[in-house]
Amino acid sequence: MVEITGFGGIAVNVWLVWILPFIGAAIIAGVARAGIKIRDYTAVGFALASAVSATTLIPLAFSNSEVHSQVNWIAVLHLKAGVLGDPLSVIMANLVAWISFLIFVYSTGYMHGERDLTRYWFFMLFFIGSMQLVVLSDNLLMLFFGWEGVGLASYALVGFWYTDRKKDFVGTEGHRAGGIAMWASPSHAGAKAFIMTKAGDTMMLAGMFLIFAYSGTFGFKELLQNQGWAVQMAHQNLLVPAAILLFGGAIGKSAQFPLNEWLLEAMTGPASVSALIHAATMVKAGVFLVARIAPLFFALAAFGMTQFFEVVAWVGAITAFLLASQAIANPEIKKVLAYSTGSQIGYMMMAIGIAGLSTNFAEGYTAGFFQLISHAMFKAALFMGAGALLHVVGSRFMTDMGGMRKYMRKTYIFMFLAAMSLAAAPLITLGFWSKDAIFAAVLGSGYVHSLPLFIMAFVVAIMTAFYTFRMIGMSFFGKKSPHLEELEKTGHHPHEVRPIVWVPFAILAVATIAIGVVGFAFGAQLQHIFADYLAKYFGITQQKQLQLLQNPATTTQLVKPHTDTKLFLGLNPYAAAASFGAFAIGGFLGYMFYIARKIDPQIISKNIVTRGIWKFLYNRWYLNSALYWGAVIGPVAIYRIIWRYFEFTVMEGISHAFEFSMASFSRVVKAGQTGITQTYLFVFGVGIMIIIMLLLL
Amino acid sequence: MAESFFLLIATFMPLLLSPVAYFLGKRAGLAAVTWFSFGVLVISTGLLFVPASMLNGGRTVYSESYPWGQFGNFGLRLDGLSLPFAIINYIWFTVLIIYSKPYMNRKIIDEARSRFGGGKSTESTSVARGPAYAADAERRNDTSGIANTESGSLTTTTIGVEEQRYVNSQLGLYFALFMVFAMGTLGMVLATNLIEFYVFFELVLLPSFFLISFFGYGSRQRTGLMFFFWTHAGSVVLLLGLLSIGFFAGGFDYSTVRAHVSQIPAQWMSIIIFAVVLGLGVKIGGFLLHSWVPSSVAGAPTPVSILLVGIATYGILRIWLDLLGGNYVQYSLYINIWGLATMIYGGAMALMQDDIRKVLAYSTISNMGYILFGLGSGSVLGVTGATLLYVTSGLGKAILFMMAGSISLQTGTTSMSKLGGLAGKMPYTAVLAMIGLLTLFGIPPTSGFMSEWILFNGVLQTGVHDANSLRIALFGFGMLTTVLSSAYLLWMYKRIFFGKIPQELVNIRDSGRYITITMAALAGLTLIIGVYPDPFLTPITTYIQGMFHNSPAVLPLPSSGGSGIAVPLAKNIMFKSGNGFSSNAVPNSAAQMERINSGGAFASH
Repeated sequence: MVEITGFGGIAVNVWLVWILPFIGAAIIAGVARAGIKIRDYTAVGFALASAVSATTLIPLAFSNSEVHSQVNWIAVLHLKAGVLGDPLSVIMANLVAWISFLIFVYSTGYMHGERDLTRYWFFMLFFIGSMQLVVLSDNLLMLFFGWEGVGLASYALVGFWYTDRKKDFVGTEGHRAGGIAMWASPSHAGAKAFIMTKAGDTMMLAGMFLIFAYSGTFGFKELLQNQGWAVQMAHQNLLVPAAILLFGGAIGKSAQFPLNEWLLEAMTGPASVSALIHAATMVKAGVFLVARIAPLFFALAAFGMTQFFEVVAWVGAITAFLLASQAIANPEIKKVLAYSTGSQIGYMMMAIGIAGLSTNFAEGYTAGFFQLISHAMFKAALFMGAGALLHVVGSRFMTDMGGMRKYMRKTYIFMFLAAMSLAAAPLITLGFWSKDAIFAAVLGSGYVHSLPLFIMAFVVAIMTAFYTFRMIGMSFFGKKSPHLEELEKTGHHPHEVRPIVWVPFAILAVATIAIGVVGFAFGAQLQHIFADYLAKYFGITQQKQLQLLQNPATTTQLVKPHTDTKLFLGLNPYAAAASFGAFAIGGFLGYMFYIARKIDPQIISKNIVTRGIWKFLYNRWYLNSALYWGAVIGPVAIYRIIWRYFEFTVMEGISHAFEFSMASFSRVVKAGQTGITQTYLFVFGVGIMIIIMLLLL
Repeated sequence: MAESFFLLIATFMPLLLSPVAYFLGKRAGLAAVTWFSFGVLVISTGLLFVPASMLNGGRTVYSESYPWGQFGNFGLRLDGLSLPFAIINYIWFTVLIIYSKPYMNRKIIDEARSRFGGGKSTESTSVARGPAYAADAERRNDTSGIANTESGSLTTTTIGVEEQRYVNSQLGLYFALFMVFAMGTLGMVLATNLIEFYVFFELVLLPSFFLISFFGYGSRQRTGLMFFFWTHAGSVVLLLGLLSIGFFAGGFDYSTVRAHVSQIPAQWMSIIIFAVVLGLGVKIGGFLLHSWVPSSVAGAPTPVSILLVGIATYGILRIWLDLLGGNYVQYSLYINIWGLATMIYGGAMALMQDDIRKVLAYSTISNMGYILFGLGSGSVLGVTGATLLYVTSGLGKAILFMMAGSISLQTGTTSMSKLGGLAGKMPYTAVLAMIGLLTLFGIPPTSGFMSEWILFNGVLQTGVHDANSLRIALFGFGMLTTVLSSAYLLWMYKRIFFGKIPQELVNIRDSGRYITITMAALAGLTLIIGVYPDPFLTPITTYIQGMFHNSPAVLPLPSSGGSGIAVPLAKNIMFKSGNGFSSNAVPNSAAQMERINSGGAFASH
C-alpha cells in the first residue's frame, strides 16, 4: 500500500502509457517512407508498447495504491501537469490499451489497400494517446487536452473518406424527416460530430472555470484535499450547477440526450474507427469523466449534491430509452450498433447517477463501470464483425444481407457470441452480469423515484434484446437478398474474411463468454476493488453514508435509508428476474420476427398505428430535424437577414453615403469654379453687400 | 542616453535599408531582394531577442531613451506588455518576407501580363484563372524572354524583357514598403511617448495604404482609399485624445503621464478614454466601426491582410489600461459587451461568405471581438488572456491567410463554390491550415486554447466575484460563440478541402516549399505555445499584475496554494436560496464546517 509520488519507479510507466502513442503518431509519417508494411507494424507496435506499459500498472489496482507524478507547467498560475494512476484509471487504461491494440491488428487487415493510410495511423495513434491522457491525467485542464484530442481525432477519422463518395454515406438517400435530409456525407458527419461535442465542451469548460474560480486548481487530488471551495460554492448555490455543467461535457462526448445526434452520423468512418470510438475511446471518455468526478462530488455530499446525481441518472435513462427505441427501426447494421452504444452508455450514466442517490455508492458505481467494461468488449467485437460483413457484402444495409451465416461462418459465430452479451443472455455472458448489477443497484437504492427508473431500464433491456436478435436475424438468417444475388451474378461470391480480420474480434467475443461464465465473481471482485478505492481515497463507506443519512442537516428528501432484499450471494431476486424476463421477451419477439421468420415484419406497415410508431422511430423522434431547424437553419436565416439588411445596406452604406456626399460637395464647389471673371466679381459684390447689410443691422 | 542601441537598430534598420531593398529589387531581381529583406528582418528580430532575454533574468524593463526637444524623450522600451507584441510581429514580418517571394512574384507577374499582354491577357487575372492560365502560359512560351523560375509547383514561366523590368521594380517597391510597415509596427509597440506612438501609428498606416492600392485585389485603389479614410478618421480622434492627455499631464512621455495622471479632471478623463478607444477601435475593427475591414483585409495582398488589423489592441492596453487606468473598472463592462457583439457579429457574417478572404476578414473581426471581450473582463486573468490571444489568434489567422494565398496561387480563385476536395491535392496546405483552424477556435494543443481558457476564466471570475449576473451571462454567450467560430471555420474547411474535386482542378499541385515551410514555422510556434506558454505568459502576466497593482477593483490572479478568489459569502449570485438549485444542506456555521472537514462527512484522509 505504498503511495508513490514523483517520477520514480512505476510513475514513468504511467507517463509512457499516453506518451508512447503520441510518439508513434509523430514519427509515423517518417516511417511511412521506409515502406507500407513497416509503417503498419510500427503503428501496431506503439499500440502494443502502450498496452504493455498499462499492464505493468495492474498491481496498483489490486493493492489499492496510487501513483501521482507531477511536473511544473504554467508557472504564473501555479498549475502543474501530472498523471494519476489509481485503481480507476489503471483499469480503464488497460481496457483502452488492449482493445485498441486488437483494433489496430484488425486494421492492418481491414484497411489493407486503402489510400492515405499514413493519415489513418496518425490519427488512430493520436486517438488512443489522447484517450489515455484523459484517463491518466491528474487535473481537469490536462484532461481537457486529451478530451479535445479525442474529438479532433474522431473528426478526422469519421471524415476519413473525405472525398465523399456515395458508398461512404450513412442513411438512406432521399430520406427526409421534417424537411431535413437524413443522410450525410463523411465530411458533413465529421464536422457535425466536432461541433456538437464542442457544444458540450463549452459547458464542461464553464463548469471547470467555475470550480477553478473558487478553488484555484484543476487537480483532482487538490480539489479533494481542501474543500473550502465547495463550501463557498455551495453557499452561492453554484456547486450543483458547476457539477452539471461539467457533466455537460460528458453529455456531448458520450452522445447523451440532448446531444446524441452526432453519434449516428459518425458511422461514416471505417468500421475499425467506429469500433475504437464506441468501445475504447471517444464515447467512453464521457463516462470516464463522470466516473472520475462522481466520487469527488459524492464526497461533497454534505453540500447536497443529490440533484447532480439525479440529473446524471435521468439523462442516462432517457438516452437509454430514446436510442434503444430508435435502434429497433433502423436498417443499417452499423447504425443499429451506434444507437445501441448510446443506449448502453445511458445505462452506465444511470448506474453512476443512482450510485450517488443510494446508500451504497460503491454498488452503483461498480455496476456502471462493469457495464463499461463489458460493453467495450462486446461492442468492439460487434463493430469489427459488422465491418467484415460490410466489406464482404459491399452495403451498409441489413436488407442487402440475409443468410450470411452460410458464407461467413466464423464471423457469424463470433458476432453471435458478442451479440448475446449485448442482448444479455442469462448467466454465461458478461453483458448479463453487468446489466443485472445495474438493475440491482437501481432497485437497491433508496432513491424515491427508483421505480420509474427501473421500469425504464427494464423496457430498454427488452428492446435491446429485440434489436440484437433483429440485427443478427436480418444479416445472418433468412434468404439471400436481391443485392447478394446480383453480386453472385457478377462473380463476387461472399466469402469468409482473412484471419487477421476475424481473429481480433474472435478473441473479444470469446472473452465476453469466458469472463461471463464467471461473471458474478468478476463483478464481485470489481466491486471489492472499487469499494476499497472509494473508502481509501474518498472516505466513502457504507457506514459513513448511513451516518450521513441520519443527520438531518445533510439529508435531502430524495434518498431514504433502504433495506434491500438480497438472495444468497448477494443476488437481488427482482433484478435477476427482470434480467431473465427482459431477455426472454425481447429475445422471443426478435426470434419470431427475424430468425424463425414466423411473423412477417411487414405487418407493421399494415396497421396505421404501428406504421406511425415505426415512422416516428425511423425518423429518430424528429430530434435531428428539430436540431437542424433550431440550431442551423434558423440562426443562418437570421444571419442572412442581418447580412442583407444591416451589413450590406447600413454598414456598407455608411461608406457609400460618405463617398456620395463628398462627391456632391465637390460637384457644388466645382460648379462655382467657372473661370469667368464677371461671375466672380458678381458673387464678390453680392457678398460684400450682404456683409455690409449685416453690419448695418 | 541609452546604454545600448539594440532597439534603436532593430526599429530603424528596416526603414533605413528600405531604399536599398527597392533598388536591389529593381536591379538584381526577386531572389536578391527577398534574401536581403529577410536578412535585415532576421537581424532586427535577433536584436529584439537580446533585451528580451535580459528581461527574463530579473529585470522587468529594458529601455533606450533620447532627448526629443519639446515632446520630451524619444524612447524605445521593452517590457512585459510590449515584448509579446514586438516579438510576434517581427516573427510574422520575417516569415512573411519569405512567403512573399513566390506569392508576390506570381501576383506581380499576373499584373505585368495584364499590363503588357494586350486585351487577351486581362482575362488571365480574372477569377477563373486555373486552366485558362496554363493555356495562357503555354501560349507565351514561344515568345523569347527571360525565364522566371519560381519555387514549387508552377514550374517555369516565361515573360518578356519589358515585363520583367516592370516586375522587378514593383517587387522592389513591395519589399521596401513592407519593411517600412515592419518598422512602423515595432516603433508603435516600443514607443515611450504619446507623440512618438502617434507618429509610428501613422507610419503603419501609410505603407499599408500603398501596399493595398498598389498590390491589392479587385478595385484596389478604391479599397485603399476607403481604408485610409476610415483609419485616418480614427487616428484623428485618437490624436485629439492623446493631445488632451499631454495637455493635462504636462508632457507626452509615458512616465510623465503616469506620474501626473491624477491631474486629468474626471469629466475629461471619460472623454479622453472615449476618444482613445474610439480611435483605436476603428483600427481594431470593433462592431459598428468595422465597415472598412472586410473590403480592405480581403482586398490586400495576403501578407498585408495578416498584419492589417489588431495591433491597435496594444494601444488600448498601453494608453488606457496601463497609463491612464482611469475608469477601467466602470467601463470594462461596456468593452466586454462590445467585444461580445463583435465576436458574434464577425462569426455570423463569416458564415455568409463565399470568398475565403472574406471569411477570414470577418473571422479577424470576430477574433478582435474576443480580444475586446478579454480586455473588458476587469480581471488580470482576462487581460492576460486577451494579450496572449493577440499572439495566438494572430498566428492562427496568419496560417489561414497563408492558406488562402496558397490556394489562390495554385487554383487562381478563392471562391469556395469553385473549390472542393483539395485535401488530396494540397496535403501540406491542408494539414497546416487545420492547425491554424484549431488555433483560431481554441482547441488544444494549439495556442488558441491556452489564451482562450485564460481569457474566459477571467471574464467568469469577475462575474462571480462581483456577483454580477450580466457578466456571467456574457461569459455564457461568449462560450457559445466559440461554437459559432468552430462552425464557420469547419464549414469553410469542408468546402475547400473535402468533397468532390471540381473537374478543372484535378491537375493542381501543392504550393512550393517557400509557402509550406513558412506556414509550418508558424504552425510549429502555435503548437509550442499551446503546450508550454510560459515564455510568453510569464512576462505578460507579471506586467499586467503590476499594472493593476494599485487598482483593487480589478480582480487579481488566483492566489497560490489551491485557493481561489475570495468571494464575499454574503453575495448570492444567480440563484437565491429557496428556488432553482437550492440546496438545503449548506453548512453555514463554522462549527458545521469543522465537522465536515474533520470527518463528519466524507473527508477523511
